[in-house]
Amino acid sequence: MKTEPSRSASIGFDIFVAIVAVAAVMVVMSLLVSLAIFVGTLDEFAESRSSEINKQIVMNYEGYINSVIETANYIQFASFNLDLGRDAAALEAIYRSNADIKSDVVSVYLFDGSGRRLIGPQLDFGTGNDIAARPWFRSALALEQVFHFNAEPQTSIAENRDEGVIAVTKAVEFLDGGATEEGVLLIELDRQAISDLARKSNLGQGGHLLILDEAGALLYSSEPEPRAMSERSHRLAAGMYLGAERAVIGGQEMALNVNTLVHTRWRIVTVSNVNEINDARARLLGISVLILAISIALSAAAAGYVSVRISRPIGRLKETMLRIEGGDLDAPIEVSGQREISQLSHSFTSMVARIRELMASLVDEQKEKRKTELRALQNQINPHFLYNTLDSIVWLAEHKRNKDVITTVVALARFFRISISKGQTFIPVEDEIAHIENYLTIQSIRYVDRFAYDIAVPPEMLGMRMMKLILQPIVENAIYHGVGDADGRIAITGRLEDGRMAFAVSNTGYGIGEEKIREMYDIMRGGGERGGVGIRNVYQRLKLFYGDAADIRIDSVPDESTTVTVFMPAQPGQEG
Amino acid sequence: MIPTTRPRRAGRLGAAAAVRASLAALAASLAACALLGCASKEARVGLFLYNQADPYIEVFARQIRDESNSAFLAVQFDAGNSQLIQNEQIEAMIAKRPALMMINPVDRLASHALIRRLKAEDIPIIFFNREPLAEDMAIWDRCYYVGARAEQSGQMQAELAMSLFGNDPSGLNEYDRSGDGVIQVIILKGEQGHQDAELRTRELLRSFEARGFSIEILAIEVANWKRDEAYEKMGALLRSHQDRLELVASNNDAMALGAIMRMRQQGFFKDDDQSGKVDRFDDSWRPVVGIDGLVEAEESIREGYLYGTVKNDSLSMAKAMVELARRAIGGPDSGELHYRLQDEKYIWIDYQPFIR
Repeated sequence: MKTEPSRSASIGFDIFVAIVAVAAVMVVMSLLVSLAIFVGTLDEFAESRSSEINKQIVMNYEGYINSVIETANYIQFASFNLDLGRDAAALEAIYRSNADIKSDVVSVYLFDGSGRRLIGPQLDFGTGNDIAARPWFRSALALEQVFHFNAEPQTSIAENRDEGVIAVTKAVEFLDGGATEEGVLLIELDRQAISDLARKSNLGQGGHLLILDEAGALLYSSEPEPRAMSERSHRLAAGMYLGAERAVIGGQEMALNVNTLVHTRWRIVTVSNVNEINDARARLLGISVLILAISIALSAAAAGYVSVRISRPIGRLKETMLRIEGGDLDAPIEVSGQREISQLSHSFTSMVARIRELMASLVDEQKEKRKTELRALQNQINPHFLYNTLDSIVWLAEHKRNKDVITTVVALARFFRISISKGQTFIPVEDEIAHIENYLTIQSIRYVDRFAYDIAVPPEMLGMRMMKLILQPIVENAIYHGVGDADGRIAITGRLEDGRMAFAVSNTGYGIGEEKIREMYDIMRGGGERGGVGIRNVYQRLKLFYGDAADIRIDSVPDESTTVTVFMPAQPGQEG
Repeated sequence: MIPTTRPRRAGRLGAAAAVRASLAALAASLAACALLGCASKEARVGLFLYNQADPYIEVFARQIRDESNSAFLAVQFDAGNSQLIQNEQIEAMIAKRPALMMINPVDRLASHALIRRLKAEDIPIIFFNREPLAEDMAIWDRCYYVGARAEQSGQMQAELAMSLFGNDPSGLNEYDRSGDGVIQVIILKGEQGHQDAELRTRELLRSFEARGFSIEILAIEVANWKRDEAYEKMGALLRSHQDRLELVASNNDAMALGAIMRMRQQGFFKDDDQSGKVDRFDDSWRPVVGIDGLVEAEESIREGYLYGTVKNDSLSMAKAMVELARRAIGGPDSGELHYRLQDEKYIWIDYQPFIR
């Protein structure tokens, strides 16, 4: 059964596409998932890092503020049982030593409730009268329990000191002449300390920190002048009271973290550069694309290799099968390739071998059968002729034509010797010619020279072999049909034509019509049953043995001649 | 074949149906949540403690959790005495959309930022244990404070002492060991600069003054609320004031207990009649008063060492907080409020004096 090579794709192509598609889908999916996880982790990492930095900075400030508060508490504690009236010198010493010990404390003062200086260094000229009006003084008395940090731009109130300071104040009680009085403790901190603390932090390129007061006003920015980012980061941070946000400031991705500052109502805002996340993300994306390309290329190569390994032996097997399908049973069968393929090839090989065996035995059987048939056909010729000839001999003997009887009997003897020819089917052309000469001899005696004949066979054909008893029935036919009138002629010519032998037997006479010729062909091919046994016998024997290589042609020229030509393969003079 | 395939198919259909059903249920419950608000039943409340290592706070937190049992789910956080950590915890909790937050701030001034932050998120706050500044409380009408007035503890402590000394400033009883009409007192102060320590000390002294009692402060020692530190410092104090000492007033129970331990070693609190209990009429007995009402303090009072303490009524506070929380979450109709809500913001719980 022959199937058309369908339009569906080949095995190799299917395997290739399947492998590449699966690999591509898997790689893309795993890349997407890992990319998502990675970017998420990266974000988390950046968030936690910026919040850690923020915490670190806030802790630095807390430590600083706590140390200031401890100083204030210590001063209060140390002066607890000291009376301003009795122990003024001791109190002065406590205040002065605390101001001196800490490098960032500019000065320490105690004022009474009206803003009069009680302890502390000399005031700067002209500042003495307005202490009670200063915001830090008023707020300390307004809310007694807590420390007040005032970061308004201001310089120290102490004489000969002009540092920028932060005023830390608290309402305190003190003893004066045995009575408990209320006053205000002031510690002036060097503003520089805040900047120094900010400098310790690493917030990345463009990173800075802001300190906002409770109203959201900017108390401090660590960004160096000119402050390119502070304005925007301050605006962003103004609405934030805790937590973190991301924003792009000045083209950089920044994380804003807000925290409270201990003992104050201030907020510290750290603005740290997390732009590296963008870089890392871009780098990761690039690497992912590269991995994708490489893995697809690799899988394509692997898929190509595998598909070729599988499909090529199959393809070769297919070609072999096609050839065998076309009839070439001896085509060599490729048995290499994967195990399945070679098993398939082996099975196919043994199948072909089996077919070959079967065919060979079939051919043998056919040959045997043909031989049998051939023999039977050959055997049909003789009795008929023998009867006629013996009839002639009887007739000759009755007419006392002894010489003719001798000639006829001798020819008959020769005729039969050749007919028998040791049981061989094939005989040299020379013998076949001799055979018909004997036959013609017999017939010419029988028909008393009512016809003339002549035989012309080129000598190179004489040594060739041919099936015996082919020409005799044809010649017999020619005599019966052609030799009606006197002067009849029978010509037997042999020639070689396109590697075939052709023997033409022609007889003079009325010729035969088209219809008759068609009828004769029909008879030859076994159509009708009547007459022409001889020529049909010849035709069937030729076809039996030579197949298409042999043929019989009948030509006729009306009122002139009829020619029957027998074609058969030219066989050299060896036993065939 | 059929018996094996059929149940399998039925099973698959069953699983699909179950998935569909659960999805539908989920969608329905989400829709119900969106429409009705899930707050009433599964409301979550953040409970932020300044430091769980403080035994008072630990007990207080347990009382709050017990009281809140049915009303809401309290999720507790311990800041470990760091405002930074508490800020982080609050930030993390905001993301989980709690119905309310109960905050015991580490730094009372940080309340300013917390109120502003939670106002923006519309999450009501109940502060406790540390009172934010009044001006910060005024920022938003959904922040509350439940607590005691620190002044009151000092006043009550003074009253405990004054009643022991006979309640008559001009005629002190036998506990004025020297008979000089003046009470010689050692004061153990909490943390220097700590709001409560300052207030308790000041109110103690002011109360004596207001009632006309004469006192002589032998010493004011800062022992940072700690028992061990009080024990250590009491040693030195006794060496110089042992003979004159008539009263020890401590800012809290822990320091009072530390002081008693040292005093026992120095020959105070003798059990002369071998009754197994210390007798306050014994010559070696001196009144020690604390504040807080720790379990150990109550024990010490029963054994006769500690004269009295002023109990911070944390159970009432916990009840008040839970009632207030229920109201803040569910509106004015959700349950009665058994405590006076001053200015729609403050609930003050009185201290309770505790003596044998």
